Parts: sequence; C-alpha cells; structure tokens
Amino acid sequence: MLSSTTEDRNETRMTDRVTRLKAAVQESAPGICTERALIWTRYHRHPANRRKPAAIQMAEALQRVLTQKSIAIYPDELIVGNFTAKRVGGSLYPELHGLPMLEDLFKFPTRKTNPLQITRREQWDLLKIIPFWSRRWLGYRTYPTLGRRLRFILHQLRGEYYLINESGGIAHLAPDYARLINDGTDVIAAEARRRQAEAEPGSERAHFYAAVRIIAESLARFGERYARRAETMAARESDSVRRAELKAIAAVCRRVPRQPAASFHEALQAVFLAQIALNLESLDNAICPGRMDQYLFPFYARDLEAGILTPARARELVAAFCIKMAEIVPVFSERLTRIHGGMFNGQVVTVGGVDADGRDAVNDLSHLFLDVMDALRMRQPNFHARLHDGSPKTYRDRINAILAAGSNSPALYNDEIIVETMCRQGYRLEDARDYTGVGCVEPVSQGRSFASTDAALVNVPILLELALNEGRRFGTRCRTGVPTPPVSAMRAMADVRRAFEAQLEFQLTRLVDDLHAVERANRLYHPTPLTSMLLDGCLENGACSTAGGARYNFSGIQCVGPADAGDALFAIEQAVFRDRKISLTALFGQLRDDWPDPEMRSYFLRLPKFGNDDPAVDGWTRYVVERFNHILARFRNTRGGAYTTGLYSVTAHQYFGELTGALPHGRQQGQAFASGIAPVNGMDRQGPTALINSVNRLDFTQTANGINFNIKLDPFTLRGKTGRAGLNGLVQTYFRRGGMQMQVNVLDPEMLIEARDHPERHPHLLVRVSGYSAYFNDLTPAMQEEIIQRSCLAHG
Amino acid sequence: MQLDDTHPPTSVKGLVFDVQRFSLHDGPGIRTTVFFKGCPLRCRWCQNPESLRSRPEVAFYGENCQACFRCEAECPHGAIRRTPGRRVDFDGCDGCGRCVRVCPHEGLRQVGAWWSAEALVAEVLKDRDFFVDGGGVTLSGGEPFAQSPFLEKFLPSLKAAGLHVTVQTCGHFSWNHVAPLVPLVDLIYFDLKHMDPDAHACCTGAHNRRILENFTRLVATGARIEPRMPVIPGSNDDRANIRATARWLAQNDIETIRCLPYHNLGEAKGRRIGIKLEPLTVTDAVETAMARVQAAFAHEGIHAVIDD
Repeated sequence: MLSSTTEDRNETRMTDRVTRLKAAVQESAPGICTERALIWTRYHRHPANRRKPAAIQMAEALQRVLTQKSIAIYPDELIVGNFTAKRVGGSLYPELHGLPMLEDLFKFPTRKTNPLQITRREQWDLLKIIPFWSRRWLGYRTYPTLGRRLRFILHQLRGEYYLINESGGIAHLAPDYARLINDGTDVIAAEARRRQAEAEPGSERAHFYAAVRIIAESLARFGERYARRAETMAARESDSVRRAELKAIAAVCRRVPRQPAASFHEALQAVFLAQIALNLESLDNAICPGRMDQYLFPFYARDLEAGILTPARARELVAAFCIKMAEIVPVFSERLTRIHGGMFNGQVVTVGGVDADGRDAVNDLSHLFLDVMDALRMRQPNFHARLHDGSPKTYRDRINAILAAGSNSPALYNDEIIVETMCRQGYRLEDARDYTGVGCVEPVSQGRSFASTDAALVNVPILLELALNEGRRFGTRCRTGVPTPPVSAMRAMADVRRAFEAQLEFQLTRLVDDLHAVERANRLYHPTPLTSMLLDGCLENGACSTAGGARYNFSGIQCVGPADAGDALFAIEQAVFRDRKISLTALFGQLRDDWPDPEMRSYFLRLPKFGNDDPAVDGWTRYVVERFNHILARFRNTRGGAYTTGLYSVTAHQYFGELTGALPHGRQQGQAFASGIAPVNGMDRQGPTALINSVNRLDFTQTANGINFNIKLDPFTLRGKTGRAGLNGLVQTYFRRGGMQMQVNVLDPEMLIEARDHPERHPHLLVRVSGYSAYFNDLTPAMQEEIIQRSCLAHG
Repeated sequence: MQLDDTHPPTSVKGLVFDVQRFSLHDGPGIRTTVFFKGCPLRCRWCQNPESLRSRPEVAFYGENCQACFRCEAECPHGAIRRTPGRRVDFDGCDGCGRCVRVCPHEGLRQVGAWWSAEALVAEVLKDRDFFVDGGGVTLSGGEPFAQSPFLEKFLPSLKAAGLHVTVQTCGHFSWNHVAPLVPLVDLIYFDLKHMDPDAHACCTGAHNRRILENFTRLVATGARIEPRMPVIPGSNDDRANIRATARWLAQNDIETIRCLPYHNLGEAKGRRIGIKLEPLTVTDAVETAMARVQAAFAHEGIHAVIDD
C-alpha cells in the first residue's frame, strides 16, 4: 500500500478546470434527448429486424444508437463521453417505461418539479412514435390476453397495493468493470465467439453469444468514435496545451474499451464509456460503478510507481469522471416522480470495506474518492462508505468530519451484518465480501448479481385497512382483498393479526403472479446482452441475465410503511384489547369516517410509537417485517432466485400514504407514511440513542435487499470535536449491534429556520449545551436565531 | 434548603425534572444527563430555572393552549386562571399534575417527578451501549448533592453497573452528607462562580464560604475535580476575580479551568413556571469576554478551556 501524506488528504480544493467543469454541468438546464428513442424506433420499424431473435434485435438496436448518436467533447474535459445529445439530459425508452412518461410530453419544459427542456420539433418527433410503440411496450406485452393486460395496466396506473418497477426494465446492477478494464471488449468477444461455436446453431444460447459479440464490438467502436473526434479537434486546436490533452484523449480512446486499460486514465475512461452504453441499453436507473477504489487501485498504484501519475492528477481525473456522472437525469412524468423522487439515477460509488479475505481494504483511493465527493457535492454519483470493526480510524474520522459538516453523503454500510445476510441468501463468502450498494441502498455482489433490487414496492399499512373491513377499502363495496371476518367477530388481537396476515399473503401472492409475467416479458422482449456480458456467469451459462444467466439472482421487494403498520397494530392491541378504551367496532367507525372525534384521535396519537425505545411497540414493527419476509420467502422468481425484503421507499411512502385511509395510530387519511425504516413522522421524541435502540430491535438478516435508516441531526449538536465523537459513537454502537445501513442527515440551517417558523414540523429538535435541558421549540425566537447563526457557522 | 421537606415520607426517591439522553457536552463521550430538581443557589443567569424549586411544578405552554379549560375542572386547588396568556396560578399550584393529564394539547407539562433509584437506573441503562469512549451518566440540576439520601441508593447501583459517573455541582452542600458519596463519583465538575463573598452573595443569593470549604475538602480526598466557571460579562469576568480564582486554583494545585460562555437560553423556560430571576446586565459580547478571560487566566498561569 502506498503512503499518503496528510496534505494529500486535506486537499479538497479543486483545480480551476474542475471548478469550470462543475459549473458547466450545474448551469446546464436538464433536457430530454430524443436520439435513443428515434434510433430505436427506426430500427424496429423494419419488419425484417423485428423477425430477428430478441437478443440480436437488442444488440443491433443498441449498436445503431452507439454509432449514430451525436457525440461531443466539451472544453476542459479529460474524461469524455455523452449520455445524451444535451450537456445534461435523459433519454426515453419507448419500449420500456418511456411511453407512459409521454403523458407529460407537452408540459415537460414548464412543469414545476424537475422541468426538462425539449424543443417543439423534438416533441413532435416523439409524438410520432407513440402509435408504433403503443402495442409494443413492455407493460402492454406483460400479459398475452387483453383482459389480464388491461387489469395489469389499470392496476399499475393506480398502484394502491403494489407498484411493479420491473415493467419499466430492470437494470439495478454493479457491472464487472474489473473485467472490462483488465480484459477489454476484444477478449470478451473472443470468449463469446469460442462459446458460440460450441452452442447449437439457432438456439437461444447461440443468439445470446452472437448478440454479445455484436455489442462488444459496438462498445469498442463507440470509444473509437471519440478517438477520431479528439484527433479532429486536436488538429484544429490553437492552444498547445489543450491540443496535447486532446491527443492524449484520442490515444486513450483508441485503446479502450477494446484493449485492457494500460493506465489509471484509461481505466476511468473505459468505465465511463461502458456506463453510457449500459444506461442506453436498459433502464437508466442504478447502473453502479460500485467499488471503484478497489478495482482501480492497481492502476493507480502502478501509474504512481511509474511516475506517470500524481495524486493531484488522479484527483482531477476522478473529479472529471464524477462530474460526467452527473450529466444524466431520468425522464420521469410527474406521476412517476411521486413514487421515485426527483432527479435520481442511483449510480453508486462505494469505498472501503473488506477484501475477499476479510482484511480491511481502505486505500489511498478510498480517501481520494471521499475528498472528491466532499469537494464536489453533486447530485450524482451516490457515495456509499463501507465500515467494519477493523476500519481504520483515519477513514472513520474523515467520514465523520464530512458528515458533521453537513454533507448527507456518504451513506454508511455495515460489512459484518451485510456479509452475513448475503451468505444466508446463498452468496459465497468471498463474493459477499465484494458487495456494493446499488440504487438506493441494496447490497449486491459486484459483477456477479442480477438482483433486480427495485422490482416492486408494497403498500403494507393499507392491508390493515382491508383486514378491518373484510377485504374492502373503507367506503367501498368492491372487495379487492381476501375475505376476512368482520371486526364485530374479532375477539382478540390474534384475530386481527390473522386477518392482516391473510391480506398480506393475498397481495404478495398476486404480486408474485404479476412479477412472473413481467420477468417473462423482460426475457422475451428486452434481453440485455451488454449487461450480461459484464455479469459473471452469463457467458459461462450461455444465458442472458434476464433469463437467469448471472451467478446470483434475486428480486428485491420493498416493504413500505412498516412503522405505520406496526404502530397501528400496537394501537389496536393497547387501546382495544388491553385498556378497553374503545371497542374494535367503534374504532372501525372512527377510521372509516377519518376520525370524526378529534379527542379520540388525540388519544391514539399519544399512544407509544416506534422509535422511542419501547420494546412493546417496537416489537410490532419487527413483526410486520418478519411476516412480510416470511411470506415472501416462499416464492422464487423465474430466474431461479429468491424474493428478498427491502426497507426503503424513496418517495413511495408519500404516494402510498395519499391512497390509504385512516389508521389506528392516529394517522389521518392521506397522510404520508414514514420513510424506509424511520419512525412515523415526528413521533421519535427521545433523541437519536432511543431511536437507534428501536431500530436495532429489527433483525436485518431478514432484509437482504437493504434498508434505509435516515437519522436527522442538527449541525449545532454535531459541532466541534465533541459532536464528531458523538456521531462516531452513534454509528459504532448501531453497527456493533447489527445495524445495516445509516444515512446521516444533518439538517441545514434552512431547516432550523423552518423549525422556528413551523414548530409542528420539527417538534423534537435537540439543543445540546452543557448542563442545559431544552428542546429547540422551547426557546424564544431570539435564542432560536442564535442557534441558527451558530449552525450556519458549523455548517461551513 | 431543607432536604427533609422535599422528600415524601414513605421512601427515598429522587426529584428529577429531565433525563436527557445523547448529551455530548456534560462530560466525556455520549452521556445520559439526569437533571435533579432543587437548588440552594439563585444565580441570576440560571439556565435551568425549572430546576430551582425542590417540588414538582406545572409549566404552561401558552402557544399550545386551546383554552378548553379542562384543566380548570380538574384542579383540586383552584389554581387555574382564565387570564389570557396565563393559566396557572403558580402560588396556588402544588404541582400535583392532574391538569397535565387531562390537557389534550400539551399546553401544560409536568416539571419534576419522583423517581425510585431502581427506575432511574433502568432509565440510564437504556443507553449503556452508547457509553463507549468514556461516556456514562452525568448528574446535573439543580444541585444533585442536595439529594444525598437518594444518591446513597442511586450511586452504588450505577457503580455496580460499571458506569462512569460525573456530577455537576455548585458546591453548596453539607459535607457530612456528601463525603461518603465522593468515592462513587468518577469526575466532579465544580462551579466557581465568584471568589468575593459579597459579590457571590449578590449574584447567587448565597455566600461562598461553604462552597470554597467543600472545594478544599474534595481536593483533599483525591477525587478528580474539574473546576468550571460560567463567564458572565459584567458579573464575574473582572480582572480581580480572575486573579483571585487563579490563585485559589494554584493553592489547590490545579492548573486548568473550564470556562462556560454565558447564554440566556433559560429565560423562556422560567416564564413558563412563573419564575422571574433578578435582571442581569451583560456588559460585553460573550466572545470578547471569553477571549479576555482566557488571556487573563493565562497571565496567571492557569489554562482556561472554553467549552462550546
């Protein structure tokens, strides 16, 4: 391992070039690029093309995109490549989820949330392709018969019980970039050729290998397009320094991704070109470079040794790479934004953790990536930091300092529990140790898993509504759940539980039926040869990742609203069956009519809630997660993998909340659920240690698809060395006791201002001064002002 | 301060007004701070005015009150008023808390509850997993040593559980009661507010003779003591007092003092329970005063640490 000086680590200042690159990207209004949609359509309009095997169609269509899409090398760039024709933009995938997105076609540029630029001409071009795709997009093709097809589409448009994301493509993987940079596409294509020769001609297997060969060659040529462009530009460039840079870029792109990377620069460039192509192949969501500090380190070390790279230059290249990663945005309609949040592509870069032998793997590049992340603080990529018992103190200290200063990244991951959980799911130990998060929080083995981690989201609290109303929504006659006994017949808590579990089982069974259909549709109509080429197992097995070719296969199903469901069940147990405050029938009336009696609601609101270190109520949230996982574990997906439970919700907790009626924990109809594994909003009143004690009561070996535990702290509490040490104590204790993931959200001063102006939104904000006892809300406005001022200083 | 008056006759319990978890500034590491209610001093700058009286009280949160007057019907002492902006007649209230239990809007809150030693130990043990890096329990207040009969039960249980114990004291306590407790405490934060007896009496309502005697006695036991000084610009930050404090420390072979910056965060809380402290004139910006005091201590050979 190389030594690194402290000056190196503290150098977070960026070069002028990086500052200019960042400004250029941040100042570009995001737009919609029509190129992929139009080229894809042109290819598929030919009936002869449509008769080819699906894998070949995919490879050839993507080949056309990589050959025909416009390319540009912008001023100051060192890492080149374009996701779209616009500096910052997103593509449409008309064969996947692109068609439903076009409901916003004419309001994209003017809508309030995440406006996307698009010209009249481009709108017209997209309008013209709708008829072609209207009966060819994946959602439509999920079911062969019209009736089931309509039911599926209508159900998904509303999505009150569950939402299936896989019908818009799968993605969500960490490709085997180590192989790409160590072997190059020619070696991969040669392997495909060799294996194709052994396959039976005309078989799905043979077509798959043929498709891989096409796409491997296309990727190499995509690099060569940039080499030619850089040479042309160099010839015309008057500035000698830039001319040399362009020539260097040309030399790099001549070699990669076709050849094995010969330098750190080449390795980064190869990864970025593949990153573009993968995003264009399938859904542009959660294509994750993953453990870059690990697979790039040999290149970094070699170049440093050879004297052709300095840490400063490496930092500049990494910054240039990260800025390029922020040039992509998803094209979502407002409807979809309500479920999936804003401009989020979920491209994860992971640092730290252990190596295949379980030894600490933090190296100089881990620190370098953290430095770049802290200096840039851009929307993408998402940074994750792995921690384990033996993580070095310098590494922990650096992360704590970054977080306490108000950066919400990196998210923290606990190696011990994640590796154990993955092994229980059938991962080999060394493969589990090589995990990275993808998308939001989902652990997969780098280059080996096709884990469809965002397959579907399930609205769990709504099932309690069905359980209390014989399988119907409040106020409806139509039964959408399974029949369960009326509340008048429920004599004990066990009856409520049985009804809830019946509804849960019914919906999960329906979900899995639908998922099987969607999985088949993906395999039949949207195979992904490029993705498969970069996943271990697919070439060997001669099967696409959509057909179960990858070494590890899973589908991640999100349990949304566990704390709401848990608190609601506890409230019934406490108020109805223990305290006899109200009969279940009367409570049912309150819920059906959305709490006509405010005092009754106030009583229910004041019952104990998850997140306050109360084992009795926390046990119910644990129960919900365990039942969910227990039922889910009975099913297998069509790729031969298990369905795993995830506890994160992006923004679906708001969406599902809006659709759900009143619930017994005092929640009114339409109120948002708690996010991820967080307590119900504003209900954690005992501070962060009590909250962590509650969260630690869950068994995270049951949530193999990852969890999102967001802890909010204010910068005033985290001020100074004392604050950083306190943060470290929280994280260490949480992880030592089996915590899985944690994201530290340091409230920015604006949020403190919001707390001052709207105390009800942040009722339990802490104030920590020696020997002093108070909550933020207890202070006078002038004192709140002082805390806000001091937070602004601490926020830096 | 008569200890006997504050204790219910049946069993020895502690009167506590807050148990604050995740305290970072009350001793090393992550701590749970137990705030004891009742204090022999009446410092004008008191930051926890709700700690002063040694009986339970009711605080009024006017911003939450919906004027439903359920409290009025419930109060056995007729201590609820209908005056706008005021609800509790603090003189008539005995802090029984019946009004708090019927208030649906959190407009009234109980300040101070009697805790058994067992319940309080169980409460602080909830966070014992977080007491890494030297963390533990801090007894603050009010004046924790004013409840020494309770501490005789409470402290041995904390030690039995292996917890690090810090006590924040104003020093005004009966030595005979406290001496047996000293070996059960790992760290004592001892406030030195003013060295001049008259000035001390003027600012805090009590002379400092007893406090200084206790300080010397504590030092003699070999206990770990960290003196602290709340720096109140215009009250105790003058050169003469700094010099006198420094000499006192030197006499006791102590080289460091923690200086706490003045803040007026207690004001709002006082109003809620009807306590109005003598007005305080703050003559100088806090930062300026802190820098000056630190320099003055340095001049006297004492290292002054400024707490944040």
